[in-house]
Amino acid sequence: MQPSQGVLLAVLALPFLAAAVTPLLYRVVGERVAYFAAAVAAGAFALIASQFGTHGTVSLQWIPALDVSLALYVDGLSLLLGLIVSGVGVLIFTYSGAYMHDEPGKAKYYTTLLVFMGAMLGVAFAADLLALFVFWELTSVSSFILIGHYQDQDDSQYAARKAMFITVAGGLFMLVGFLLLYTVSGDVLGEATFRLVGTEGALIENAGAMQEGLRSAGLFVPVVVLIGIGAAAKSAQVPLHIWLPNAMEAPTPVSAFLHSATMVKAGVYLVGRFRPLLGTPEWELFFATLGLLTMTVAAILAVAADDIKELLAYSTASHLGLIIAGFGLQSVYGAETGAFHILNHALFKAALFLVAGIVAHEAGTRLLSELGGLWRALPITAAVAAIAALGMAGLPPFNGFYSKELLFEATYHAAEHAGGLWWLLPAVAVFGSIFTFLYSIRFLSLFAGEKPEAIEHVHSPPMAMLAPPVLLATLAGIVGLGGVSATAGIHLGPLEHFIERVVEAVGASEPHFGYHLPTSLTPAAGMSAITIVVGAVTYPFYGRIAAGVQRLIAIDPIRPNFYYDGLVSWLDRTTIVSGTVHTGRLRTYATWFFLAVAGLAIAGYSGAGVVFPAISSLAAEPAMVIVLAVAVVAALAVTRAPSHIAGVLTLSILGFMVAIFYILASAPDLALTQLVIETLVLVLFLLILDHLPEFYGEVDRIRALRDGAVSAVVGITVFLTVLVSTAATPGKPIAQYFIERAGVPAEHGSTLLDFGGGGNIVNVILVDFRAFDTMGEISVIAMAALSVITLIAMRERGETQ
Amino acid sequence: MSGTVLRTVPSTIASTSAGGEASGQPQVILAVVLGLLFALGTFLVLRKDVVRVVWGVTIISQAANVYLVTMGGLRGSVPILSHGGAHGAVTDPLVQALVLTAIVIGFGTTAFALVLTYRVYEEHGTIDLSEVNER
Repeated sequence: MQPSQGVLLAVLALPFLAAAVTPLLYRVVGERVAYFAAAVAAGAFALIASQFGTHGTVSLQWIPALDVSLALYVDGLSLLLGLIVSGVGVLIFTYSGAYMHDEPGKAKYYTTLLVFMGAMLGVAFAADLLALFVFWELTSVSSFILIGHYQDQDDSQYAARKAMFITVAGGLFMLVGFLLLYTVSGDVLGEATFRLVGTEGALIENAGAMQEGLRSAGLFVPVVVLIGIGAAAKSAQVPLHIWLPNAMEAPTPVSAFLHSATMVKAGVYLVGRFRPLLGTPEWELFFATLGLLTMTVAAILAVAADDIKELLAYSTASHLGLIIAGFGLQSVYGAETGAFHILNHALFKAALFLVAGIVAHEAGTRLLSELGGLWRALPITAAVAAIAALGMAGLPPFNGFYSKELLFEATYHAAEHAGGLWWLLPAVAVFGSIFTFLYSIRFLSLFAGEKPEAIEHVHSPPMAMLAPPVLLATLAGIVGLGGVSATAGIHLGPLEHFIERVVEAVGASEPHFGYHLPTSLTPAAGMSAITIVVGAVTYPFYGRIAAGVQRLIAIDPIRPNFYYDGLVSWLDRTTIVSGTVHTGRLRTYATWFFLAVAGLAIAGYSGAGVVFPAISSLAAEPAMVIVLAVAVVAALAVTRAPSHIAGVLTLSILGFMVAIFYILASAPDLALTQLVIETLVLVLFLLILDHLPEFYGEVDRIRALRDGAVSAVVGITVFLTVLVSTAATPGKPIAQYFIERAGVPAEHGSTLLDFGGGGNIVNVILVDFRAFDTMGEISVIAMAALSVITLIAMRERGETQ
Repeated sequence: MSGTVLRTVPSTIASTSAGGEASGQPQVILAVVLGLLFALGTFLVLRKDVVRVVWGVTIISQAANVYLVTMGGLRGSVPILSHGGAHGAVTDPLVQALVLTAIVIGFGTTAFALVLTYRVYEEHGTIDLSEVNER
């Protein structure tokens, strides 16, 4: 069934429109704007849900003249991401209403979150590489603003810059990959296209031909790597994962929304989306390695973390690695792993972040070493954490178990087929999972045992903060129980069918998806058993493992952060630009600007071989010569004026001389305008000068000489330019068009002219032919007036630095 | 309006075919004058005193306007139809329309620059750019 165009457009437009009115609405309803935003997210969720079961492309003519259209594509994968984004969005906005109660900058916060949601939905539904890229970068920008929410904190600024730097840079790599695909598609498909999916001429529909084309051009591996870098930067894959732990500086709802459930899924989504197009052995090697490496390294790092949000951040990177590895593997199990784990991870990880927010909010600390025994004060939160954390650990019958089981199956399958070094895959998967088990149980342990003395009374959280994680954990629990009931023969039909469609979208043909508890000792079940047993045996040594990991990551050269900070501080130290060009002084900028323009002009003339005209005569009207001479003398007097008043008066002389020049040049309109304006400027100067001090600034000789040299260069450039341009005569002046059309047509006789027709060509141009330009001119004046009012009035309202 | 035969309008303009020195002849006097005006304006922009910087910008924009009018040619009659014998050759009306807009916008920017100067003085207690920069 075809998706509905109107509904999809509404889904995309709704968050952006809501974002536009949020700042205004905030003035009216205050922090209750959170519930407005939640309603918007709920609306988007309902609209997307109404498209459930549809499949196909809708396209909307955007700029018909340039053949640019906005194409949206709906299939299982985009629906999954769209539903997660809007559904988790509803919960996050509700939660924020309570969490952000005492926080600053709420209007900015909700506006940015809504923009982010719109951009993320755009990523999910874009059927075209360019639209995908634009929405992709928009999510990076909104993430930057949200991470830097506490603008006056250094940590926040550092984290925001780092996230922006890494994700946007990764996006640019991805863009290069897109452009390569576009170029190659021109050769392969006859017509170059950015359309990724959905139509006959789209890239994915011609995957085989595209792969051959890329290979014969020698670009296949580069494209895989470029797109891989984009996805890795966004989805925090090793070694680009370093921005994610820092991003936890953002308010907790943001961490739950952007940095675990949705934005970081964009990279994963990209890998899933491109899997049908580029899925080959090279792809498998690159992404399975990347994913498993990330899964293991990030899980080890999570064990060393003491801050619960940092633990969850590393854990997020680790689970994203699991999904990437799944999408990397070419077997159908791989596709199932990725598809199913996107959903499972969103459910349990968002719930855990919200739990972390509740803990930090109510207990006042986020450090594992200071927390414990919270189950008494926060029983419901503890139950939520139990369901979610056991899911994260991959313990049966919780939801994470099934997708991890699929990963084991996929890695085992790959190893069985390829043999040799590929046996490392299942081994690494088990190794990483052991650490996942360890930190999950460690997270849960903050609810167990006795409460430390240091923590004072812990309040129970408000309803708006409790309901969202409860709902998420309930859903996670249902997914888990679905596996139990499926073992008994009762399948969770709609869910399995939905995942099946996602699996289909990532390139498996005729998938048949079902999940249940293992009923016999398959290799995967054995791997799960090893994970759990080894995890349980080593858990008592958690402290020593964590200490060991901490000692390991204290070694600089193996820390990616060491390289990042080194690079950034090196860039800071190289002050070639900031020392000579970017000094913060107007005169430096002006000097560089003038010299650059003059240099470029002269270089252009010599490059184009312009011959300067011979000066044969100086013929000029005496009146003109006198007027211009007075103008130059006046300008000279302005330069040498001993006081501000003298300078302004001589400046006026210059202005009036220019007016006379216009009269002599047969431009009466200009002369009139110039006279009026010159008078106004004189009055304006006198008004302002009254309020300014008598400061003239001495000019020392060296500086005068230097500035004189710059001025001379500019003057000579202008002199040459005027000579060249006045000597040249264009063949068909544009003005001819206006001269011919400005007047009144002959058949109207003289009636209109005699009674007020368009005789003045300049006026006709201004109000008729180029009326929009005149409107622009009026807007400029209006803007200048507004700025003047703002500058003066806001000062009077006490708004100083 | 389209398609009507136009008869009452002239078909030549001064800058291309008529006028004493305009045809292919460089405007030496104006080149010298404009060069000097730009040089003086540049010198003023490089001063420490904000008011002088505003003057410099004003002079440069005046000179740019004069340059545009010069480009359109200086000879020819006023570009107004139906004023008797002016049908032979008029000066370029397009540059005049352009410059008219530029004059008005120049006024807007000058006013803005002046108020900005005033605000700088209010905030920093000085109009010395080198001191403003230090704080």
